[in-house]
Amino acid sequence: MAEAARVRGKLPAFVILLLVAATTLYPLSFVFTNAFRTKTEYLKGPYGWPAEWSLNNFVLLIENYDLFRAFGNSAMVIGTALVIVLAASTLAAYAIVKLDLPFKQVFSGTFLSVMLVPSQVLIIPVYLLLSLLRVVDTLPGVILVYAATNMPFAVFFMSTVMRSVPNELLEAARIDGAGPLRTLVSVVVPVLRTSILTLAVLIFLAMWNELIFGLILLPSEMNSLLTPRMASIGGRFVTNQPLLMAGLLLTSLPPILVLTFLSKYLVSGIAAGMGK
Amino acid sequence: MPSALAEAEATAGAAPSHAVSGRPGRRAERGFALLAIAPAALLVLCLMLVPMAGALGISFFKTDGVTASFVGLANYAQLLSDPLVGAVLLVNLQFLIAVPLVLTAATLVAVLLYEKVLGWRAFRIIFFIPSVLSTAVIGLMFKSTFAFDGPINKLVIAAGGAPVSFFSTPTLAIAVIILALVWSGFGYGALIVLAGLSAIEPQIYEAAELDGAGWWQKLFHITLPQIRRVLLFVSVINVIYTFTSLFGFVYVMTAGGPGYSTTTLDYLIYQKAFSSADMGSGSALAILVFLLIGVLTVLQALVSRERRPSNG
Repeated sequence: MAEAARVRGKLPAFVILLLVAATTLYPLSFVFTNAFRTKTEYLKGPYGWPAEWSLNNFVLLIENYDLFRAFGNSAMVIGTALVIVLAASTLAAYAIVKLDLPFKQVFSGTFLSVMLVPSQVLIIPVYLLLSLLRVVDTLPGVILVYAATNMPFAVFFMSTVMRSVPNELLEAARIDGAGPLRTLVSVVVPVLRTSILTLAVLIFLAMWNELIFGLILLPSEMNSLLTPRMASIGGRFVTNQPLLMAGLLLTSLPPILVLTFLSKYLVSGIAAGMGK
Repeated sequence: MPSALAEAEATAGAAPSHAVSGRPGRRAERGFALLAIAPAALLVLCLMLVPMAGALGISFFKTDGVTASFVGLANYAQLLSDPLVGAVLLVNLQFLIAVPLVLTAATLVAVLLYEKVLGWRAFRIIFFIPSVLSTAVIGLMFKSTFAFDGPINKLVIAAGGAPVSFFSTPTLAIAVIILALVWSGFGYGALIVLAGLSAIEPQIYEAAELDGAGWWQKLFHITLPQIRRVLLFVSVINVIYTFTSLFGFVYVMTAGGPGYSTTTLDYLIYQKAFSSADMGSGSALAILVFLLIGVLTVLQALVSRERRPSNG
């Protein structure tokens, strides 16, 4: 009885949430269904399920706009930069929090203070620096920029979780004769693997959605990344909406998959990142 | 004794190895620590600190990237007296309308989620979907939705109206971008507010229920006052977003137009630097925006520091 009344009392809340969820999901379903619709059918009406599911838009995108290549570039750049960020930030946080690092305050203070520098401030001098080194429009240049600009948050995040590793654990490894590197690899990293995965998810999303460096540091079509490429060709699709929708679907699929399967890590990461 | 104890506590927090300083491995550990921090430190030094110093340096020059001449503070003086910069700042300020909207939507959703209704975990993830999408993707979605021959105008025509040209009318273009901002940002805000709600002690509600307080009374007299610092935090980060995260929306939706009516500060930096080959002025503007964001960030740090004790 009481339980039934409790559930009934929550009905208005449920209905309102359902309506808000519809405003979130409807635009996404519009993108999804029209990505598989032919242009002729779209012009007749863009609503409901497509009469026939066509992969034509995706074929066109890959043939005419070389999106496979952009996808490959993104995977290559983000994969490499992600590995660099995870490895370097774990090492740095270990040194700051658990080791006798000289100038500790200087290092941690510097990482903390550059954490919120917006890319707009960096873009002009970074462009000039990369062109001086002749690495504008090369993937290694952007890999280094992505690794560097995501490093301060990564070090902050890893330092926060590193404090939760009990010192007794490290002391025990030391007594067993393990050096600092072996202690890190065989004791610290296994303890922190969930946090490292959380960080990987957050950094992946930041890099996948990055726009300004991708647009300016990789100007040629051959080297462009997927998100900036979609952004710059988006305007040309005004006459072919289904083609645009197919492009949007491809670009948003990786983040949505990450959210679907790794939401546990993402939500805990948001809570940890709140203080930033 | 007490001072020695305090000292021991202070060093224990800093590093475990201090307790055993003087043992032979200490030198080796310091060396290893420096090696361990080197990759992260070098990357940040070369690609963040040096460029920031570079931006400051370039801002004193007139340069197109090939030739340069020293002009002192002339770039800054020019920017501060440029009516365009003032107009663009006003455009940025108009986008602040999104902040109370995001805050209201986030709080509403979080308060309802907190009731733990059927499927609240699924709702939480659904509301978060827009936050993981690129601003370019969201911008293009809104652009085609509000296009002249888009779905919204089809509805307008079906209802007997004349199609509206959203992106060639300044106020409507801004309204569409604000809508995109709210759509993409409320889920993230809701997660933070929800975390704040979970930190309220249940005894406070129990006491209020004993006094016969209803749902609305509890909302306005307990819930909202208890999470005011979280709400302030969400407001401040959203204010910062309106100065740093509009580039993607503007780039794909309006390219700053019509005229300069949707050009934001971050888009103006991009335009100045790479369309008009005026890197000195672009850098000076970037430095000014950085100072503005710096002030906002310090404000945010103060807010979140005050927030922590109440969060336990």
